Amino acid sequence: MSLAAEAFVSQMAAAEPWPENATLYQPLKEEQILLSDCASSLAVQTYLKMCGLPVQVVCKTNAEFMSPSGKIPFIHVGNQVVSELGPIVQFTKAKGHSLSDGLDDVQRAEMKAYMELVNNMLLTSELYIQWCDDATAAEVYEDVSQCCQALSQRLGTQPFFFNKQPTELDALVFGHLFTILTTRLTSSELAERVRSYSNLLTFCRRIEQTYFEDKNS
Amino acid sequence: MGTVHAKSLDPLPMHGRDLGMNPDDLSDHQEPEQEAKQEILENKDVVVQHVNVQGLGRTKEDLLGYEISDVFQAKNLIDVMKRAHVARQKLLRLGVFKDVEVLIDTSEGSDALPNGLDVTFEVTEIKRVTGSYNTMVGNNEGSMVLGLKLPNLFGRAEKLTFQFSYGTKETSYGLSFFKPQPGFFERNLTLNAYKVTGQFPWSSLKETDRGLSAELNFPVGWTSHSLKWEGVWRELGCLARSASFAVREESGHSLKSALSHTMSIDSRNSAIFPNRGALLRINQELAGYTGGDASFLKEDFELQLNRRLFWDSVLSASFWGGMLYPLGGQPSCIADRFYLGGPTSVRGFGMYSIGPQSEGDYLGGEAYWAGGLHLYTPLPFRPGRGGFGDLFRTHFFLNAGNLCNLNYGEGPQAHLQKLAECIRWSYGAGIVLRLGNIARLELNYCVPMGVQSGDRICDGVQFGAGIRFL
Repeated sequence: MSLAAEAFVSQMAAAEPWPENATLYQPLKEEQILLSDCASSLAVQTYLKMCGLPVQVVCKTNAEFMSPSGKIPFIHVGNQVVSELGPIVQFTKAKGHSLSDGLDDVQRAEMKAYMELVNNMLLTSELYIQWCDDATAAEVYEDVSQCCQALSQRLGTQPFFFNKQPTELDALVFGHLFTILTTRLTSSELAERVRSYSNLLTFCRRIEQTYFEDKNS
Repeated sequence: MGTVHAKSLDPLPMHGRDLGMNPDDLSDHQEPEQEAKQEILENKDVVVQHVNVQGLGRTKEDLLGYEISDVFQAKNLIDVMKRAHVARQKLLRLGVFKDVEVLIDTSEGSDALPNGLDVTFEVTEIKRVTGSYNTMVGNNEGSMVLGLKLPNLFGRAEKLTFQFSYGTKETSYGLSFFKPQPGFFERNLTLNAYKVTGQFPWSSLKETDRGLSAELNFPVGWTSHSLKWEGVWRELGCLARSASFAVREESGHSLKSALSHTMSIDSRNSAIFPNRGALLRINQELAGYTGGDASFLKEDFELQLNRRLFWDSVLSASFWGGMLYPLGGQPSCIADRFYLGGPTSVRGFGMYSIGPQSEGDYLGGEAYWAGGLHLYTPLPFRPGRGGFGDLFRTHFFLNAGNLCNLNYGEGPQAHLQKLAECIRWSYGAGIVLRLGNIARLELNYCVPMGVQSGDRICDGVQFGAGIRFL
């Protein structure tokens, strides 16, 4: 399809309401998924829960090949397929659901900056941990500490990064930190560094309780 | 329409030099000569004392022993000529000689008998290496094809072929080694290693196969059999962003390791425009028991009957069918299923555009049948008779078929019922052109009927090129 046709179809799709059978695809949880992919997938799931959009999680071994961009997770909504947090946020915004509408321009820019920080530091360190494991480890752990310090300072004692309302930044940070804290790795150095910031720990716990444990009740 | 790549067959195993000549024509040619000689020489007893082969280079002599040994049995001159002719054909079909000439002479030398004969085969060996270079253009893609052939590699009719195709979109290559059993050419082994890529716009699918295969061919009585093991690493992907989700779900890598067996009986007098005879080919494939992800049992068959009618016209009936039974509880893969429709199967419908589909992408089916009835006649008023005109035929056809998925829990009655409902069929007429001894081109006017929702039709004029037609 040409770009114009694609844009037209996207616009038509934007007019449709969020269906009941929206699905999120990721690789298998126990045997297959990588640390960084797990974090990304959790971030997207958290974001959708924060928006109040129901989505069913399906694990498939060929999820990364099914994705149009090759990256996971991706969601299948109606007959649209969208992958990665950035485009998914845009997609939900087109359907009228957004978490960052209440922010003014300065705050939005700040949010984007923090999201880039997380992607550059935390994501890179996760990729490093899962693929290599050698001499530059010290630098990697330093980066993680710095990132966590910046996030911790920004969060302070607030419930969310932008005070009362959760935004995509909260989803992204939760996704990464929760995965680092709960995944068993060969060395627990990464988790230790994150644990040393207590307000980030409480933040993770709070998000987990609010959005993920209500399934059981 | 896809590209057609017709590769010429070497002179193995059926008809010697492949210039589209019918063996019927050859024997017709010999008869009158022999009639005249028979009157004079019929009663003269001869003994074949020596059979020589001259001109051998790298070919090993033990290979030829089997082909020429029959000549020693000849009792009279006519017999010698017949057996020498048969031996010449056998030598040519090995694929190691460019030319074979037969020389029959009286014996000379100290041990020569008065009625002794010497038969000499003067052979010219094929070159050690032949190369070819072609460019192909078709379907918005151009490619360069390089071929390399090493016949008679170690002196016993082994052949090594290498083909490399470099295109704007895809690259593929293949290496093949062929070894016949000395003395029994029809029993042979072929080893292949290949990477091929294909694009299937009717399913919005692209497939890359990297594989190895080993194939053993052997005749048993009237039938010829083939046993093959194939191991393929398959990579499927979406051809376009707009591919349907059903096709998207099939993307990824999988491994198929399959054993297959084919039995065929072919009594036709030609592969392309047979006047008489029949073809029956039955093939089964079992995947999954020698490793790999794909696990299924696949059966398919092909039947063709030909009969000559009045005025040089031929009536031909063909019937195809197949079934795929997934084992191990997994659903079947889109790359293993059957497809139906197009100028080479049920005419009047789009290429492989019959049957189960999702958002315009055809997914194939697990069971199918297809039948065709043709009346072939020479061109009206027979232009170019005896030459170019003989490559053409007009044909009137009736095609029918069905493709669907069966619910294997139910019994055979239910299966037959499902295959019998929603039959697609078509009729029409057109012109067929023969290309060499393997391929044909068709230009038809088709009228599709029994069209179900979801099928794509191609009514009116349809062009087709290929090797296997319904």
